[in-house]
Formats: sequence, C-alpha cells, structure tokens
Amino acid sequence: MAEQNQENRIVLKIEGLTKRFGGLVAVNELNINVEQGNICALIGPNGSGKTTVLNLITGIYPINGGKIEFLGEPIQGLPPHSVCWRGIARTFQNIRILGSQTVFENALLGKGYGKGGAGIFHTVLNTPRYRKDMAESTDEVNEILEFAGLTELRRERACNLPYGKQRILEIARALVTKPKLLLLDEPAAGLNSQEIYTLMELISKINERGISILLIEHRMEFIGKLADWVFVLNHGSKIAEGTFDVIKENPDVIQAYLGRGGRKLA
Amino acid sequence: MKKVKTLLHKYILLVIGFILLILPLFTSQYEFYVVERGVQNAIQVLGLLILIGYSGMMSLGSAALLATGSYTYGILLVKLGISPWLGALLAIIITTLIGTLLAFPSFRLAGPFLVVTTVGFGEIVRILLLNLESLTGGAYGLEGYENLFADSRLVYAFMVVTLLLVAVGTQRISNSKLGLALKSIRQDEVAAEIMGVDVRRAKMVSFALSAMLAGLSGVFLANLTGYMSPDSFTSAESTTYLLMVVMGGMNSVVGAIISSIVITALPEFLRFLSSSRLLVYSLVLLIYLRVHWVKSSRPSCAGVAKKLKINIGNNKSGRGGGNG
Repeated sequence: MAEQNQENRIVLKIEGLTKRFGGLVAVNELNINVEQGNICALIGPNGSGKTTVLNLITGIYPINGGKIEFLGEPIQGLPPHSVCWRGIARTFQNIRILGSQTVFENALLGKGYGKGGAGIFHTVLNTPRYRKDMAESTDEVNEILEFAGLTELRRERACNLPYGKQRILEIARALVTKPKLLLLDEPAAGLNSQEIYTLMELISKINERGISILLIEHRMEFIGKLADWVFVLNHGSKIAEGTFDVIKENPDVIQAYLGRGGRKLA
Repeated sequence: MKKVKTLLHKYILLVIGFILLILPLFTSQYEFYVVERGVQNAIQVLGLLILIGYSGMMSLGSAALLATGSYTYGILLVKLGISPWLGALLAIIITTLIGTLLAFPSFRLAGPFLVVTTVGFGEIVRILLLNLESLTGGAYGLEGYENLFADSRLVYAFMVVTLLLVAVGTQRISNSKLGLALKSIRQDEVAAEIMGVDVRRAKMVSFALSAMLAGLSGVFLANLTGYMSPDSFTSAESTTYLLMVVMGGMNSVVGAIISSIVITALPEFLRFLSSSRLLVYSLVLLIYLRVHWVKSSRPSCAGVAKKLKINIGNNKSGRGGGNG
C-alpha cells in the first residue's frame, strides 16, 4: 500500500535513459524520479549531459534507449508540443522569447496552437466563440503576469526588457501552459544577486501552487536553499543523488567537480 | 488632431476601400486597368503577408499558385462549361489543396532550401502549362470563358469588397493565437514547439491560407484580362510579389495593400522615360529599400508612415516597421 502511494507520487519517472550522438554517449542508463511537489535539481560539470536530459524529456531529441514516464504514461517519442500539452513546460539556458512581440503576446504563446479552442474560421469571422476563447485566455495570461510581477510591462516589447525580467517572462510563459512539471535550464545564469533573490522567491511561489520543478543550476547556494533533492550527473551517468547536504560531502561529486585530489582541497 | 488619427486608425481600410471604389470615375480606361491589377495583386500579396511576413517562410512560387487559380478557372469554364461562380469556387479549392501540399517540404527545409523548393514548384507549373497544350492551350494561351459579372465595373467593385474582407480577416489572424503561433515560428521554431504550438499544423494553415488567396487572386486575374498564357506567370512575377510584401513592411495589412498598388502602378508612371524606365524603376526601389533599411531596420511602407507619424492601423502591439 505504501509502495502504491509512492508510485502515485512520482510525476516523472526516467528509466535507463540513453542518448548517443554518433560515438559519444551523452546520457547513459540514467534513472531519475521526480516526486510530486518537489523541487529537484540536476547538477554536474559542464558537458555532463544535463541540458540533453531536458531535451530528451521534452522530445526535442529522439531517445536511443530507456523510457520516460510522465504521470504514469510513457511520453518518449511524442513531438514537443504534445509533451507540452500533457503538462511539461520548460525554459531555456539562453533565453528564447520572441523579441519583437510584447510581453503579453509572449505569455499568450504559452496557450499554444492546435489543441482545441476557436479555430481559424472562428478567428476570421470573429465569432462569439472566438471572442470568448480570447477573453478567457487573456484573463489567464493576465493572472499569470500579475503572479510573476510583470503586469506593468505587459505592453512592452520583450526585447526592451532587462535580462532578469526576460528570464521571469520566459518562466511566466511556461506557466501559461498550465504545467504539472516545470523544467528550468539554468534559471539564475547571468542574473545579479538581487535578481536571483526575486527568482528564488518566484520559484518557491510556483512550487507552492503544486507544480513540481526540475532545474539545472550551477550556483550551489541557489540549490542549497531551494532543492529538496539533487541528482548529480557526470559524463552522462548519475553518480549520486540525495539531499544537498548529503551530496556536497560525497567524495565522487567533489572529484567530478574538482578533479582527482579535489578531496584534499575540499 | 489626435481624434482624427484614432478615427483614421480605425477606419483606414474603409477609407482605402472608398478611394478605390471612386477611383474609376477619374481614370482613363488604361489607368483603370492598372488599378484593377493593383487590387488583384493586393489580394495575392495579403496571402504572402501571412506566409512570408508572419510565418517567415520564403516562397518564390507564388506566381505558380496564381496560375493554378487562373488556369483552373479558365479550363473548368472552357472545357466543362460550368458556371463562372462554381468555377471560381472550385479553382480556389483546388489551388488551396495544391498550395497546402507545398507545406510538406517546409517541415524539413528552411531558409534558402525552402526557397529553392518553391522556385522548383513554380517552374514545374509553368512548364506544365506550356506543354499540356490540349488542356491549357500551351503558348497560345487560353481564352473564351465567361466572367463573374458581364460588366467589368461590377467585377472591380466585387474585387475591392473582397480585398477589404480579406484584409479584415488577415488583420484578425495577425492579432489571434494563430497569428502569434505563425510569428513565433518565424522567430524561434523550437521555442514555439516547446510552448505547445503545433508547428506543422500552423505551417500547413499558413500555406493553405496563402494558396487560397492566390487562387482567389488568380480567378480575378482571369476576369480582368480575359486571356491567360504561361508568360504571365514567370518567376519574375513571383519576385515582384516578394518585393510587394517586403516593401509593405512584412507585418502590416495596410502597408501590403498600399505597396501592391504602388508597385503595380510605378512602371506606368515611369512610362515617359521610355526604354530607360525599367532601369529607373529598379533604381527607385533600390534607393527606397536602402534608405529604410538604414533608418528603420526594415524597409516598408509601414516604416515610412511611422516616419511621417501616421498610424496606419498596424497590429495592436503598435509595431511599425521594426524588427527585433
């Protein structure tokens, strides 16, 4: 019974995931479980395959082996937009927002295209159904922008936003897709300490909404404060997992980051 | 003054429509024909605005789709003797289907590779038209079909009304989720896909809409000229259509309409220069593009209007001719 509950609490279950680029094994027999409501972190030295894992989960790359289950259903092989519709949203390491569109339009993009709603004929004829659909979407997007603290900027073109706000916007856009699992690829990269503080608060607030989070990060203080569980990758394989306090004492992890002899340094 | 501007912003399409409707009262027969062609080109260019401007998929096969519309209409009427209205409807449907097929290469090809594919499509259609003599009349062309209306002025009025409806539809698409999906494909296909945009479907819709308007424009072209031959649908025509979209600002419905009419009429204005007019025509366009490339990062009628502080009913984001 207890085991049954355990199973139900797992949002994302990755088993034996393998990805090869030619002769290079980027991800090797990886097992990861993300539990409902947790903030999990994926860490590892540069080139250890962290971003590749996110790309495999979201369907950008086809996988070479293993399986990915989301809420108990296999999602490997689905195109990225289907993965998104099922409830996995992500952000990118190098921000990918639409520079020439407004903040509001960027967030509205999270509503996607092609999953129902008013179709092209309703759009062109401006039918009541289209207007209702658009009004509902607008309300939802405005609510998320309010939540993320971007309401004042909603008419601004996204490329005019400071870097930190662009990151927040990218997260807000991901929230508009109504995800159950949010993947963040180095959300704190390039932010100053004030911006990082704001970001950490936002991530906690998102987590309080019941959204599970898997994030990649290099800043250890960030992970120390936020993450419930940490996975450590090196050369595409998981070398350790556990709470941050346990992980940071792990000799294999220290060696992966600092090299042989690192143990003495640490 | 501000009030006037808001009013102009709101009713700019009606103003354009009104001007176009009363224009024949002041023009000679020949000038009227030029205006007619301008309006017909504008319908085609609005389709390309969706495909090239919004979705960023460059096509140089647009004249071929125009030809498909024209010839389907002509052949159905001449060979099968069906009514012009039914013929027009079938021509538009068939052109839409063929145009949608062009979306399939776009799933895997982008940029120059897609352009080459569309150029290839254009040549295939032109050569088919030239060689399927029993059906198309080959190089002799095709004539002897009925028009939608017997009175050419009625055809013109109908065409202007159609253009306005198409313009309103295009504007609505621009502001909708579909429009946003198309623009996201232009700017970052991967991000669009990750955000739940069914990119393939959006691309197909984009090609279908563009082809539908090309078919519509083709039917009107057949009505205007009363005669069609493969010479009217060369790749040079496709290039001119591309030019019209680019000069229109790639983002503005009104800009696209104005630029279509201006570029259609420009060679006629330069007729007094006789043989050197083509040279001057090209020079004028080059200088125009050059000046606005520097100043507004995107050459456009919308950009010019922005310079002159006129709001010409661009989409709600208030984005003029700029590109981020």
